[in-house]
Amino acid sequence: MQVSVETTSGLERRLTIQIPAELVDTAVDSRLKETARQVRIDGFRPGKVPMKVVKSRYGVSVRQEVASELMRNHFVEAVTQEKLNPAGTPSIEPKSVVEGQPLEFVAVFEVYPEVALNSLEGESIERPQAEVTDADVLELIEELRKQRMSWSTVERAAALEDQVNIDFEGFIDGEAFEGGKGERYDLVLGSNSFIPGFEDQLVGTQAGDEKDVEVTFPEQYQAEQLAGKAAVFKVKVNAVKARELPELNEEFFTIFGVQEGGETAFREEVRKNMERELQKAVKNRVKESVLDRLLAKNPIEVPKALVDGEVDVLRRQAVQQFNFGQEFDPAQLPAELFADQAKKRVQLGLLIAEVVASSELKADKETVRALVEEQAQAYQEPEKVVEYYYQDENLLRQVEAAALEEQVVETLLQQLEVTDKNMSYKEVMQPKEEADEAEDQQEVDA
Amino acid sequence: MNQERVFKVLLGPHQTEKAAILGEKYNQIAFKVAQDATKPEIKEAVEQLLNVKVEGVRVLNVKGKTKRTMRGIGRRKGFRKAYISLAEGQEIDFAGAE
Repeated sequence: MQVSVETTSGLERRLTIQIPAELVDTAVDSRLKETARQVRIDGFRPGKVPMKVVKSRYGVSVRQEVASELMRNHFVEAVTQEKLNPAGTPSIEPKSVVEGQPLEFVAVFEVYPEVALNSLEGESIERPQAEVTDADVLELIEELRKQRMSWSTVERAAALEDQVNIDFEGFIDGEAFEGGKGERYDLVLGSNSFIPGFEDQLVGTQAGDEKDVEVTFPEQYQAEQLAGKAAVFKVKVNAVKARELPELNEEFFTIFGVQEGGETAFREEVRKNMERELQKAVKNRVKESVLDRLLAKNPIEVPKALVDGEVDVLRRQAVQQFNFGQEFDPAQLPAELFADQAKKRVQLGLLIAEVVASSELKADKETVRALVEEQAQAYQEPEKVVEYYYQDENLLRQVEAAALEEQVVETLLQQLEVTDKNMSYKEVMQPKEEADEAEDQQEVDA
Repeated sequence: MNQERVFKVLLGPHQTEKAAILGEKYNQIAFKVAQDATKPEIKEAVEQLLNVKVEGVRVLNVKGKTKRTMRGIGRRKGFRKAYISLAEGQEIDFAGAE
């Protein structure tokens, strides 16, 4: 077997491999003999078909088959011989498939980049320090109450934030227009779900009132024939309802799974949850910045095949996330959307793998256990969840991968200088990009 | 014999175990031929169409099998078969031909 390697560009390699003629021919012959025993051809008893006939009939296809098989095997052999590490599937192109001549083929593929880790020594990151304050807890409880709020009819003039139940019909130049009519419609004043100005004019109305609301459709309205037109809406107010937040009582606490202990226990529970979330967020932040540093210190080239594969994964995730439905073909999403993210993920994957290899990390049993238990905490019966995890090998493997990642982060953390930075609960909980954007915004403002 | 007739004489190679053995041993080939083909016609057609030298031609009629069904007795179609001896050193490759 003759092998020659060419580097076409960056990570792309081109292998030209030659397989000796005898090897191919004997393989073809033995394959033909096998087919001769099995084929049925009219005019011959099974198994009695002479070689010559079989060859004339199946020779070409058998040769092709054997050739592709040999190419695959020899490709693997050649790769090991040349100590290459291909990423993705190679494209194999035969040059000549003729009897009596050596089989020559070209394989083009990409190799994994050689990753030489640069130490993170001297780099520094910030670790957010935050505590859950009483105010934070109160705020969250308030938030929860708002989620459970209900509307109750009141006998007073409507104010902003109130909900009114209205019948309305719109007229332009004295004529009713399409889509301008509604009955028993619940409208929250100040929610800006109607045309600007509409809701404001309803402030102060009472149940039973009738009022003509005069508004002008905005220039950029989705219905073109209405855009920019002045309209009059005849509105009848059926009822005015005010927001009612649920009382902080047993009933309310039970909804959130706190059955005993009243408000104190509820607060405790909320605080516990918040603290868990906070810890998670801090951990994620640290991890993110560590990985960012890692990436910044080790710019590596990545094989296109891997990036493409990652793009597909991301596409599928996006489809799932946005509920496009079963029939939606993920390939419809433009690849450019995900290209950067995919590249980053591939780079990180390679780097992390290298860290794992170079510091000989293994998923630590205790870390795994801790992770599983942490996950289980969020469920009603933690022990059962833990048991479930340990029974399912796939799940466990996922957790192990996560544990390994954590260990990688820890290993890297040791090389880094960590400075603590005081932050409020809210700042930490805010997703990073948004925080960045907010910062950018501030800079622009300044 | 005119050119049109040349194309009508030979119906196709007759590939069977017997034909394969004869081919091996005596350099003969078997053909299905038109019912009314004569030996000289066959010789000329083979020589022209397959570019070989023909030594001799033997022909026979194969009768169709009689088949009995519920509806009485039927007969399958028969055909005329020709064994053609090729001159020494001549060969025909039926790759892909039926």
